[in-house]
Amino acid sequence: MGDFGEVVAHRSWIAMMNPSPIETIEPAVEESSEVKHDQPWIVIVWNDPINLMSYVSFVLQKLFGYSKEKADKLMLEVHHQGRAVVSAGNRERAEFDVFRLHGHGLWATMEKDSSS
Amino acid sequence: MSEVVHAFLGRPDLNQVEIRLDSESREVLLGLVKQFRSMLIDDSDQSLERLYPPAYTKDSELNDEYEDLVHDDLLKEKLESIDVLEKTIWLESIELEDFFAWMQVINSLRLVLGTRLNVSEEDEFDFEKIHDPEQTLFVWLALLLEEAVTASNFSLEDFNKR
Repeated sequence: MGDFGEVVAHRSWIAMMNPSPIETIEPAVEESSEVKHDQPWIVIVWNDPINLMSYVSFVLQKLFGYSKEKADKLMLEVHHQGRAVVSAGNRERAEFDVFRLHGHGLWATMEKDSSS
Repeated sequence: MSEVVHAFLGRPDLNQVEIRLDSESREVLLGLVKQFRSMLIDDSDQSLERLYPPAYTKDSELNDEYEDLVHDDLLKEKLESIDVLEKTIWLESIELEDFFAWMQVINSLRLVLGTRLNVSEEDEFDFEKIHDPEQTLFVWLALLLEEAVTASNFSLEDFNKR
């Protein structure tokens, strides 16, 4: 854990940050549910009393390319159930997503998918 | 139907957003972000913790690693967004990309103020009845962000066409 190569690998996703976030994600999004068991990390957004519902939905659309319908559904899940899984992937991918969600002020964490 | 004056107006034809704030509102925003920059650089105010949430809640070692990795980048991103807002504050119309920076700053300010005010899910702020300046700002920033989401929604339309 914490070896140099890993740090470099993680650095690479930060360096990859596209100034136009809209373009970055598309391929991973639709695949996420299918690849879940191979890529056991899930990204969770938690309810918080400050972020606006409309803004949370906006960020999910902007970062992940989700449709308004899907983003609203996830946002409402966060609001009513306290949390929602918004993406899944290998550790590097999940950390990248968490980082971008944190950059947009959402309360996001990641963990190993216990259902996998 | 009476005409509502919006703070922002999306211009999909130009990929821009029109800024319709009066000069007083722009001054307030400028003052806020100036203070915010000092706070961020100083990095000692506890309410700033909300801007750097944990990624791993079940493994403190992994989380320390994550925080070491991203803290400076998150900070840099916020400072850059503040720079953009300051540079574009007096313009009538700004590029969408710059407007996203505005939104990030406005939301970060809300997070810090809301943390400081200890806002809970049950709190409902009535603009008419608020006297505390920080509460007033908190509500005002919410209105701005709500309008900002509406004004920039056109940027998401491609996702919804798929």
